[in-house]
Amino acid sequence: MAADRTGKATWQGDLMSGSGEIQEAPSGAFGPLQVTWAARAEEDHGGKTSPEELISAAHAACFAMALSNTLAKEGHAPERLETSATLTFVPGEGITKSALTVVGVVPGIDEETFVRAAETAKDGCPVSGALKGNVELTLDARLIAE
Amino acid sequence: MPRIERHANVHWEGNLARGGGRINAGTGAFEDLEYSNAVRIGTGNEGKTSPEELLAAAHAGCFTMSLAGELTRAGSPPERIDTIANVVMDEVEGQGHLIVESQLRVRARVPDIDEDAFRRVVDEADAGCSFSVLIKGSAQVSIDAELEV
Repeated sequence: MAADRTGKATWQGDLMSGSGEIQEAPSGAFGPLQVTWAARAEEDHGGKTSPEELISAAHAACFAMALSNTLAKEGHAPERLETSATLTFVPGEGITKSALTVVGVVPGIDEETFVRAAETAKDGCPVSGALKGNVELTLDARLIAE
Repeated sequence: MPRIERHANVHWEGNLARGGGRINAGTGAFEDLEYSNAVRIGTGNEGKTSPEELLAAAHAGCFTMSLAGELTRAGSPPERIDTIANVVMDEVEGQGHLIVESQLRVRARVPDIDEDAFRRVVDEADAGCSFSVLIKGSAQVSIDAELEV
């Protein structure tokens, strides 16, 4: 079954001096969020989000779900996964990289099996599928004892 | 050119079917967004988000900024742009779940531009939006853009 999800944005004025708003998400989970070019393209974000940050959130979330599924299928449902995605954006060039990390608490699994499952999730999650071939995808996976 | 990094963190507990997670933005612009698989593939959202909803917000934001930039470059800065992005995830035989489509609906109020020039600028904005380019690994991007008077 297909799942549709919607986002809305508004912009006023030119790119450099204008500003925009990503409206409240239809689910009500976030927003409205203010965006500007300066906050997007300079190191200092001033607490404002950007398309790249939203994509990193989507990717980290997608990866965590895929990994929980891969682990559970192998009989090792995770207690806890802490994932992150860091997107690299080069203004004028585009998004060049998404770096995934995961630290997992998974009962009864060894490091090698965990890392292999993380690689599978990195390659298989739908957000990775959309980005694949267009950006560098990296993974740093670590297992910790609780 | 500077390299800009943006990140987000996720905390997940449990398996896919019954587990759930929380999403935090590195900038602090949003935090502790709840999500789960039931909400991701279902029709009710219970106030929870999903990776695809975040992508839809990202695409709407990215295209809108890209169009503002291209219109300005073409000498016709916009008064206002409104964009809706609809991101579709579907199960594709033999490939599992994929993001197959992002449909953009754009309405722009732009003084002093004719229809032909606007069309050209919309195409340039699509080519220049980092996200449109990025998701073409699995997804088609379609754009319905109109000038508002």
